[in-house]
Amino acid sequence: MARTEKKKDVVIVGLGWTGSILGMELAQEGLEIVALERGHDQNTVPEFQYPNMIDELKYGVRLGLMQKPRNSTVTIRRSLDEAALPYRSLGSFLPGNGVGGAGTHWNGLNWRPMLSEYRLRSYVEERWGAGIIPEDMQIQDYPVTYDELEPFFDRFEHVAGISGTAGNIKGQIMEGGNPFESPRARAYPMPAMPTTYDGAKFGEVTKAMGYHPFPRPGGIASQAYVNEYGMQMGPCNHCGFCERYGCYNYSKSSPQTAILDALKRKPNFEYRTKSEVLRIEMAPDGKTATGVTYFDENTEEEVFQPADLVILAAYQLHNVHLMLLSGIGQPYDPVTGEGVTGRNYAYQMNGGYTMFFKDEVFNPFVGTGANGMSIDDFGIDNIDFGQEGFIGGSYISSGQSNGQPIRNMPLPSGTPAWGADWKKAVGDWYGHVMSIGSHGSHMSYRTNYLDLDPTYKDRHGRPLMRMTFNWKDNDIRMTQFMKSKIEPIAKALNPTVMQAGFKQAGAMYDVRPYQTTHNVGGSVMGADPKTSAVNRYLQAWDKHNIFVMGAGAFPQNTQYNPTGMVGGLAYWAAHAIRTDYLRNPRPLV
Amino acid sequence: MRDLPGVPSRRTFLKASAATAVISTIPLSSQAATPTPPVPLDEYQPKTLSPVEWAFVMAAVARLIPSDGDGPGAIEVRVPVFIDNELGGGFGSAADWYMEGPHQADASPLRGYQTPLTPLQIYQQAIPVFNEWCQNTHGKIFADLDADTQNQALASLQKDEMKINPELRDFFTLLLQNTKEGYFADPMYGGNHGMQAWTYIGFPGARASYKEWVGRFNVQYPLGPVSISGERA
Amino acid sequence: MKTLLRVILALVVIGLIALVAFIYVPVQTTQPTTQLAADHKPAAGAGEYMMRASDCMACHTSEGGEPFAGGRAIESPMGTIWATNITPDKEDGIGNYTLDDFRAALYDGIRKDGAHLYPAMPYENYRKLNEEDVVALYDYFMNEVKPVSNKVEETKLSFPFNLRFGLRAWNWVALGDAGFKPVEGEDEQFNRGAYLVEGAAHCAACHSPRNLIMAQDGTDQTSEAFLSGGEIDGYTAPDLRGPRSAPQQWTVEQTAAYLATGRNAHSTATGEMMLVVRDSLQYLTDEDNMAIAAYVKKIGNGGQDQAAAEPAANQTAPAADQKAEVTETEKMLTDASPDMPLGPRLYLDNCGGCHFVNGKGAPEIFPELDNNSLVTASSSKGLLSVILHGAELPSTRNRPMKVRMQAYADRLNDEEVAALATFLRSAWHNNAPAVSAADVEAVRGNAH
Repeated sequence: MARTEKKKDVVIVGLGWTGSILGMELAQEGLEIVALERGHDQNTVPEFQYPNMIDELKYGVRLGLMQKPRNSTVTIRRSLDEAALPYRSLGSFLPGNGVGGAGTHWNGLNWRPMLSEYRLRSYVEERWGAGIIPEDMQIQDYPVTYDELEPFFDRFEHVAGISGTAGNIKGQIMEGGNPFESPRARAYPMPAMPTTYDGAKFGEVTKAMGYHPFPRPGGIASQAYVNEYGMQMGPCNHCGFCERYGCYNYSKSSPQTAILDALKRKPNFEYRTKSEVLRIEMAPDGKTATGVTYFDENTEEEVFQPADLVILAAYQLHNVHLMLLSGIGQPYDPVTGEGVTGRNYAYQMNGGYTMFFKDEVFNPFVGTGANGMSIDDFGIDNIDFGQEGFIGGSYISSGQSNGQPIRNMPLPSGTPAWGADWKKAVGDWYGHVMSIGSHGSHMSYRTNYLDLDPTYKDRHGRPLMRMTFNWKDNDIRMTQFMKSKIEPIAKALNPTVMQAGFKQAGAMYDVRPYQTTHNVGGSVMGADPKTSAVNRYLQAWDKHNIFVMGAGAFPQNTQYNPTGMVGGLAYWAAHAIRTDYLRNPRPLV
Repeated sequence: MRDLPGVPSRRTFLKASAATAVISTIPLSSQAATPTPPVPLDEYQPKTLSPVEWAFVMAAVARLIPSDGDGPGAIEVRVPVFIDNELGGGFGSAADWYMEGPHQADASPLRGYQTPLTPLQIYQQAIPVFNEWCQNTHGKIFADLDADTQNQALASLQKDEMKINPELRDFFTLLLQNTKEGYFADPMYGGNHGMQAWTYIGFPGARASYKEWVGRFNVQYPLGPVSISGERA
Repeated sequence: MKTLLRVILALVVIGLIALVAFIYVPVQTTQPTTQLAADHKPAAGAGEYMMRASDCMACHTSEGGEPFAGGRAIESPMGTIWATNITPDKEDGIGNYTLDDFRAALYDGIRKDGAHLYPAMPYENYRKLNEEDVVALYDYFMNEVKPVSNKVEETKLSFPFNLRFGLRAWNWVALGDAGFKPVEGEDEQFNRGAYLVEGAAHCAACHSPRNLIMAQDGTDQTSEAFLSGGEIDGYTAPDLRGPRSAPQQWTVEQTAAYLATGRNAHSTATGEMMLVVRDSLQYLTDEDNMAIAAYVKKIGNGGQDQAAAEPAANQTAPAADQKAEVTETEKMLTDASPDMPLGPRLYLDNCGGCHFVNGKGAPEIFPELDNNSLVTASSSKGLLSVILHGAELPSTRNRPMKVRMQAYADRLNDEEVAALATFLRSAWHNNAPAVSAADVEAVRGNAH
């Protein structure tokens, strides 16, 4: 050990959304805090500044803001008897890097799960009976109710600055919003963003079909905004560079726009970049952590940072990796079903239709990551999925973003990938395309999980984490159901040509194309320490001064983008730490 | 990079306008007003590719995005320069990727990039293999074939008719991907010369400001592109 | 003839005697304006607060140097003035200063050794400080500031400005009475604002024109020129009193927000004013910033009706979304025609993302360019500097975010910046003269 730093009250691992939230909340308690961020520091200017950020090759294709697999990656296999291979270059999912984390390069879509999703197993058992749950499916209830979480969703939405149209305020259905959303205490902090042409068409046709379209809620400012910390957003100019990019215009919710400059003013808060936590250190009795050991890239040495409280606030994959490396929770064993850490890794099941219109113009470069219209008529609360033969649901929407030509060049199927016909097709079709997507739940299964890889090591000599994951019939049936519902909508729009992209029975996990960075589970929250790694306050069951933030807490994935839930849970956990744990540090459950 | 934008470096007092009289004698800056025309491709000295590799890339991209018909071809927008640049940089050397062994290059393609070779090494090793296959099959190396035969050869490569070594199997995918990147990327990377590809499809490049256009449904945005460096078309 | 010579000789002798007296007879320093009780102690924090209000740190701390240890170069047309060390160090600082010595520096611009300070030290304004604040400042510098041994370079101006005794005559002409006299009939807020503006905050040092002897043309509102706009380093320090001036167009709350955070519903602080917000005004209480804003509003002429008609500082309804009249400029920018001239084209390519086609920006974050005093200032230097070098809003208590505009020096050449600036100065409701590439070249060369 080359160096030991001065003891802090709190060490936070990772300075993205949850690290910033916990930093701010605990700094307000007067605690001495250090946040350790493995990546670089970054601010709107200069790191995200115009015009340098508007670079599809550097950020969209070469993934300039993402973690470098050379520094950190996982191995992946599709089944227990396959040898895992490293995820050598990024494809299917894109973990972030640097201050702000994935909160800098997300699309901004922000949701609260539907009511049944907090108590999914109970809901299914009550309505259809346990018999419809497949043998290998491990869904379980959240150990916390929506009513308990509502104030914390509200808090996050107002800190982050979410634009949207409320559909249900305290039980009263509001015109123009999502009538199926969980009841909220008050409206969104900002009105919804205007929609682009594709979303408007989708809204019109779904309304005519008797569905309930509403503007997608998102962390994209529809006007100037100031949050409770005095932090600010500027109105979005619909530049179209959201996902994979940092926002040059202070318009996208991120730790940078919502929290960090306010947090940096706190004299009791400090953060260190290029500081990658290698493991959490434990007291001899194994009941508490004593701090963390990290690698300081600035001085090329290992450093011990003692602290009374350890907050794991890295990305889901990295939190679980650190838990496995540090002995937090018993590692999950898919054969015996015992153990908790790494259990219930889940993903997202998405699909969509692409529609080509010879005589219509969409200007696809105009947009935001959260722009467009959605329907929740096929959401998990709203369909008799037991009858349809699956468990789950999706929201369905249309909206455009990222209309940049290297990656976003859908062409009618049958178009050659190169040559004169390809060139003609890009000239003919760019700007004449819209899509409708379904964004669906994904359940947890006995053999989808995370553990340590026996073969591959990272640059610090630590075993890589191994992801065992494949698609399962239940979720494929769900997405095929959505296909059957979207097809009539797509046809009603009367495109010149249309084509579908939904996973089909037997689909194997393909790590190459981007799917979504909604990796969840592995540090699941629950009421039973046998099936969860953390309790209802995100506190490690077996080591009470470790709290684990992030989507790892999801027992299975909801049908929505996870950030709203991640933010809400962070404020929920912070509240428990502030009002209860700090007074009397102990297991809270 | 300047440390921080716009922060005056020092206080000043009463520094009135006397100093402003001298400025009119300073000649006008012509910075970036007339960019020097680039070196013609046939005189271009590749930084990364050997002459044989360069000849292959010149010939291949001309077939992948040909010059005839509407819109520029890969040659007009200088895609070969882009590829030479990219292969010479972090992309070519797989600088960001996890390249530790053991490697299982013949794993299912669904499992992603598994070759031990970097993209540059794949180009360097696959081009001679492909040229040899062209020689054996069509009688000449690729660059010397006529356009129709080149098209056939590329189709064969795409379908992996020559059963290329698994370590090289991503070659065609990389070549096609890099060609399209060079066609549509910002001109500062060497391709998309004059933003011709953006102009062709109606992409406004790095303008990134369309608030007033969100609600203009089904109306073609009329203004041409701007590049990151400020070129206008 | 002889008589004439004798008369001349007599006059010369008298003149020489007068000059010697002028140079060598000790100057009288101003006495306290009130006698405080013998046991008077300043309230905790009062001295630091007055230091912030007076922005001592701005000049007396060098870049990266210890607080108040001096050494900052202050450029003047007469040469470089080196700010002194005002830490309580006995060798290099003011550790040996008595309260009377300290007051003399603040009120009369006279050092302990009797030498005159150059009026870069705004004692024209500081002499309005009341005795309680003088004592509070003295107490702060003696007891709360860390002594720093730092010998500062002696200021050596060119002849005749190196003859400091000349300032004695300047002082006779330039200095008014010491102490602040409340304006009768005005309320407490007005007088608090007047006290701060005329005194500690020394607003007139930049915002008033200078008269023939380079003194502030008026140090209170009785002078018409007071705060009617000045110039600093070639940048326009805008008029604060005219009917078109910002404080007269804005509500008092908006002006106060600008002072406290560098930003409000219309505009943002740049350049020197940004530094004043960063180092001084953000530390004042909201009440004091309101007092300053109310006072400046009250002494202005006009604009009050407009301001009253405007809704109070709104953060939820940005100007950019209000359906007001659509200007020709806005219409042209919205149409985005390929045939548009270079200026508006450059606006769309570089500026429209934040300031939008209506030039209205967004409250507290993207300043309005329509009717913006920086854009239309008689000197284009401020506008050009922002375009070329960018701008930054400091982190402040109420608005902690460092909002930054990136620099465009690398993306735009001089002709392009000139075309863009000329467009901005005549777009929407603006009507200011064109800018030449030579103007741009001069500011580009001045890269900070």
